[in-house]
Amino acid sequence: MVRNVIKYPTPLSVEYATDVRVFDEKLFALIEDLKDTINENNLDGLAAYQIGSYYNVIVVKDGENFLEIINPRLIGHSGSVETQETTAYYPGRSAFIQRFESISIVYQDRDGEDRTLKASGDLAILLQRKIDYTFGATFIQKMSKEDKERFENGLDIGAGTTSSQTQSEYCPRTFTRDKILLAANIVTVLLLLLLIISFFISDKSFIFTSQLYGAGIVVLLDIIYFFYAQYEGKKYVGCGSCQIGNIIGTVAISFLKLSVVMGLSYYFLGSA
Amino acid sequence: MARLVVLGGGVAGHTTATFAAKWLGSQHEVVVVTPNAKWNWIPSNIWVGVGQMTKEEVTFDLAPVYAKAGITYHQAKAVSINPEGAESSDKPFVTIEYTSADKAGETETIEYDYLVNATGPKLNFGATPGLGEGSQLGEHTVSVCTADHAVHASEKLNEAIEKMKAGTRQKFLIGTGHGMCTCQGAAFEYIFNIEHELRKAGVRDMADMKWISNESFLGDFGMGGLHMKVGGYVVSSKLFAESLFAERGVDWLIGAHTSKVENGKVEYELLDGSTGEEEFDFAMLIPPFAGVGLKAYNKAGEDITDTVFAPNGFMKVDADYTPKPYAEWKASDWPRTYQNPTYKNMFAAGIAFAPPHIISKPMKSPNGTPINPTPPRTGMPSGIIGKAVAHSVCDLMTKGDSAHLHEASMAEMGAACVASAGKGVFDGTAAAMTVYPVVPDFEKYPGTGRDTDYTFGEIGLAGHWIKHILHYLFIYKAKLNPGWTLIPE
Repeated sequence: MVRNVIKYPTPLSVEYATDVRVFDEKLFALIEDLKDTINENNLDGLAAYQIGSYYNVIVVKDGENFLEIINPRLIGHSGSVETQETTAYYPGRSAFIQRFESISIVYQDRDGEDRTLKASGDLAILLQRKIDYTFGATFIQKMSKEDKERFENGLDIGAGTTSSQTQSEYCPRTFTRDKILLAANIVTVLLLLLLIISFFISDKSFIFTSQLYGAGIVVLLDIIYFFYAQYEGKKYVGCGSCQIGNIIGTVAISFLKLSVVMGLSYYFLGSA
Repeated sequence: MARLVVLGGGVAGHTTATFAAKWLGSQHEVVVVTPNAKWNWIPSNIWVGVGQMTKEEVTFDLAPVYAKAGITYHQAKAVSINPEGAESSDKPFVTIEYTSADKAGETETIEYDYLVNATGPKLNFGATPGLGEGSQLGEHTVSVCTADHAVHASEKLNEAIEKMKAGTRQKFLIGTGHGMCTCQGAAFEYIFNIEHELRKAGVRDMADMKWISNESFLGDFGMGGLHMKVGGYVVSSKLFAESLFAERGVDWLIGAHTSKVENGKVEYELLDGSTGEEEFDFAMLIPPFAGVGLKAYNKAGEDITDTVFAPNGFMKVDADYTPKPYAEWKASDWPRTYQNPTYKNMFAAGIAFAPPHIISKPMKSPNGTPINPTPPRTGMPSGIIGKAVAHSVCDLMTKGDSAHLHEASMAEMGAACVASAGKGVFDGTAAAMTVYPVVPDFEKYPGTGRDTDYTFGEIGLAGHWIKHILHYLFIYKAKLNPGWTLIPE
């Protein structure tokens, strides 16, 4: 039976995979489903994880034949190679990933017998990618921190996807609005620093005035944040309705921090 | 007045003895037999092994603590158990051999009403040719299993650092010294603490570092791996470990049975049947564990060791030891009360009890060599089991034989583990993990066998602070300082 291949942005329906312990009809049916799905979608291989099964099973195409790999473990490795890879989970996207050039794996066949397999070239790379899936990872986890950020940001704005669904249905984890908030926080910290500095210098006259200007900037930034955040939130229908609550709360916290700093400054400097 | 004899004064034995002494008061007698003069907080040995702590900081003298608690203390090792007594008396007894300087080699018998076997393991260096003889560490590698071993390891590490400073590259090989080892966590901590120290010493670029382990994947840790919730995502410990190894520039060799150790070289066999050699300048290889070799005799003096102990030397308890395939392993196979099935007044706690089977997936090479981690029973589970056993024994002593036994199955027990990856107030890191249950329950939690809501981990500086605080906290507790009972196991 052809099953749906889970694709981004749908989260993989199971969050982890586990070893097969019982080799029965249920397992054989899963393997057949994997084969049918591979043929239907013209893929080179699938991990059961990618069709929503939590079993540690991989089926890959080796020429015209299928390799059925159950409970694989990557034991030996040698060499290192950078490959440009695609995966069914991120259709239309590719990434450069560091892989082992050749590998040795141990696994079980459908009878539960232990097998070993040495592979190099494309098969080695395919197996590595599929084994990652069985442990709950897409190739994103193989990227450097910078590449990962770049790839995820690309996903956030929908670059490379085949439809516009990412733009509208997905709620990104990082927003531009956070930068406005960061600026407001930095100014608030600077105001606090000014207050601390005032304890160590004799001419304090300019400090409170500077703080008043600074406080004005923070208030302005908070107002900009309040309206921009709502605008940004509306771009993504996938972002929950609690957005407005978050925005109000965030602004309130920012005002509270500012009030504490300015209250203390007024107490120590305002009357001077 | 009844007498409880506790064999061993490690985490499990010390917990059992101290709680039993507190709950029993002066009504009954608690006796501890342990070959060591000092108590050792073993998790901190890795910091001794990199010169960041002294032996004195991770140990303390047991005698004054036991005197304060009203516990009779014999610095001796247990040799044999006669659970049916001897011909002259029905009273069961243990035979001990003193290890203290003043009475070394002298033997004595101690009668008991209840016995808790918490001897911990024999460090079976002798299982791998060249790794050592019997329980003695060999000359080619170092160890962090005891505080003295760790001091020696630290000296060797310093020598290696000096060589690197003088311009000689050094190869570090850290991991397990046999296909049936446990305690991968300690080796994991040690390799990253060494890496951290090498960076501090400015010689990291002169070091090649390699991990060798019997795990079938990085991050198995003898528990079949775990799935951790990190920052809202579920991540396998494999990915977590692989990214840490890659980030720190540590290569790895897994699914490996170390078959022979020579000067500067190990031979190994891998799960895929291939064999190979790995050279080293500095190696820390954890030995496999075995029972301490206690013998048991019946009333007639006949050897009944096979009745009381499993073939690996650990004591049989209320587990299901029927051999069965991996597919049929159940959480209910694991012991609940740790009571010996033949002699009901004997219990085992910590590493000393025989587990029904391993936790990780059983693996063997095409040559038939078993290569898989054996189950960890150290740290938190040891303490929890020790306390449950103390509860049971105290109830039996005060309420009679019909008392309800307390239970602490590892299949219903969570455990927290903080694995250090470098010591430093501002630049330290540690991976803090909790796992529930320790032994997967595939019936209750289909899939991984664990509850991912209670299985999570995080790596960072805060983890290091927790690890460092725990060091002081557990030594404070073990010294029975005020409020010690409030500190959890």
